[in-house]
Amino acid sequence: MLEAVLSKLGLPGYEPEAARQKVFGVIGDFDTPEDLLRAIRTARAAGYTRMEAFSPFPVHGVDEALGARRSPLGRIVIVFALLGLAGAVLLQWWTGAVDYKLIVAGKPLFALEPSVPIMFELAVLLSAFAAVLGMFHLNRIPTYYHPFFNYSRHAGASNDRFLLAIDAQDPKFQAEDAVRFLDSCGSRHTEVVEA
Amino acid sequence: MAHHREHASETYFLQAEAWSAVRNSLALIALVSWLALAAGYALDRQQFHFSYLVAFAFFASVSLGALFFVMLQHLTGSAWSVTVRRLMENMMRAVPLAFLLVLPVFLGVHSLYEWSHAEAAKDPVLSAKLGYLNEKWFMLRGLIAIALWSLFALRLYAISRRQDDSGSIEHTRAAAKWSAPGTVVLFLTASMAAFDWIMSLEPHWFSTMYGVYFLAGGAVGFMAVLIAVVLGLRSAGYLTQSVREEHYHDLGKWLFALTTFWAYVTFSQYMLIWYGNLPEETFWFHKRLQGSWAAFGPILVIGHFLLPFFTLLPRANKRNIKLLGFFAGWMTLMHFCDLYWQIMPVLHTKGVALHWMDAAAWLAVGSAYGLVFWQGLKEKPLVPVGDPRLEQCLAFHNV
Repeated sequence: MLEAVLSKLGLPGYEPEAARQKVFGVIGDFDTPEDLLRAIRTARAAGYTRMEAFSPFPVHGVDEALGARRSPLGRIVIVFALLGLAGAVLLQWWTGAVDYKLIVAGKPLFALEPSVPIMFELAVLLSAFAAVLGMFHLNRIPTYYHPFFNYSRHAGASNDRFLLAIDAQDPKFQAEDAVRFLDSCGSRHTEVVEA
Repeated sequence: MAHHREHASETYFLQAEAWSAVRNSLALIALVSWLALAAGYALDRQQFHFSYLVAFAFFASVSLGALFFVMLQHLTGSAWSVTVRRLMENMMRAVPLAFLLVLPVFLGVHSLYEWSHAEAAKDPVLSAKLGYLNEKWFMLRGLIAIALWSLFALRLYAISRRQDDSGSIEHTRAAAKWSAPGTVVLFLTASMAAFDWIMSLEPHWFSTMYGVYFLAGGAVGFMAVLIAVVLGLRSAGYLTQSVREEHYHDLGKWLFALTTFWAYVTFSQYMLIWYGNLPEETFWFHKRLQGSWAAFGPILVIGHFLLPFFTLLPRANKRNIKLLGFFAGWMTLMHFCDLYWQIMPVLHTKGVALHWMDAAAWLAVGSAYGLVFWQGLKEKPLVPVGDPRLEQCLAFHNV
């Protein structure tokens, strides 16, 4: 009953049955990092653009091969660092020179010198929060459900297997073609994975 | 593995004519500048000693930065730095030159240091310090420090050279073993040298931070000079495969990090004195606010910290060889400004008074250090070819 209402509203995850993505993509299973890299390069050459690789350890060159953009995390962090810096100046100035004026040891009510440690600390604090929370956000953590785990051999990606998924959202995606393609690249086990 | 084999075609040896050409230019600069300095000594002895001290402090601190850095690479087992380590080692190998080059400082004790004057005995503060600040003990301390630095520098250099032939991991282990005590000894003795050679120019003043301040500046100066040398060799067609973008990106990170460390130390020293506001301490900064000296504060804050910090912060800028090269030169200049600002206001109390001997002394001491450095590249490999981590370094990628 509730689901029927939600699906009428078209809320995410409750889209009408027809609009729902049925297939997550096609996943293949490779023996070595070199096989994986070769498969990615071949796929890119064949015109596939939306792919994801899964491996038990970082494989050099995968990001470049996939054409992944550099993470925007650094830019997020610098914004928050500067906010922390500015916030600290405001805090020091407002508490010392506006809200509670008190001359201590003949020092000016507000000065940059004693404010620098606060500026430094707040910049570091906000940077750290921005880095951790920003990383969570960019990696979509927490994600409670991911179709990748519908692949029967997903556990290999944290042991000794190198997996390549071609996303169903890829404009070139045709399930049968993708299966045949990954098989031809040397995949040991290719599956169409449900969303 | 395919791209490893390409490196085999790259030469690790300087071409003999190119080597001689640079050696001859260095020798010519040395000849002219030392003759000029000799004339300067006859003309204005006091100016000579101060100009010389700035130059000596500059190159001694750079060579100590090299010593510190080589030991750091051994202690951390770094692979990224293997292809540039031999250049560091050759800079470090010039450390014993200080035995010779410290002599003009010893000769100028009376021109430089107020505590060596007869009136010091009547000064209530200085008379208490004379047990430490006296000529014999000053010179002995200097020689002990240089001897200890030379011991570690020559030892580590010999170990690394021996590995060129043997390729044995035993040499890597031996270098790490020497580096552990070496780091402790270096920090203690370099602090002592900084207190003696520079801080005691103002014997009424004191700052326990001064030793770290000196070493932090030396480390920045060293990294700037190293990057300049690396990029210079690259532009001459050497090390183009073994020092790739990934490697000078890391050198750029270090320049950034050391600049930040210098700022941290320098500011900590300043802020504590500002906060304490005690006349025994503040007079040092007050003296450096007289006349045109006041310009040096902002020059150092902006030029030695803010500008390099914000420019070198983005990843792309550290991988930009032109920008990195500019900052190598810029930070070299800033390290000089830093030492100039520490030393010269003692002589020229009213304001900045540039003298031709400032440049002549820098060239003279620099060409002497440069010749020792360059000698180490003669018919010897530019990278530690026997290092077990060399392959790892050649394949290195920043994540």
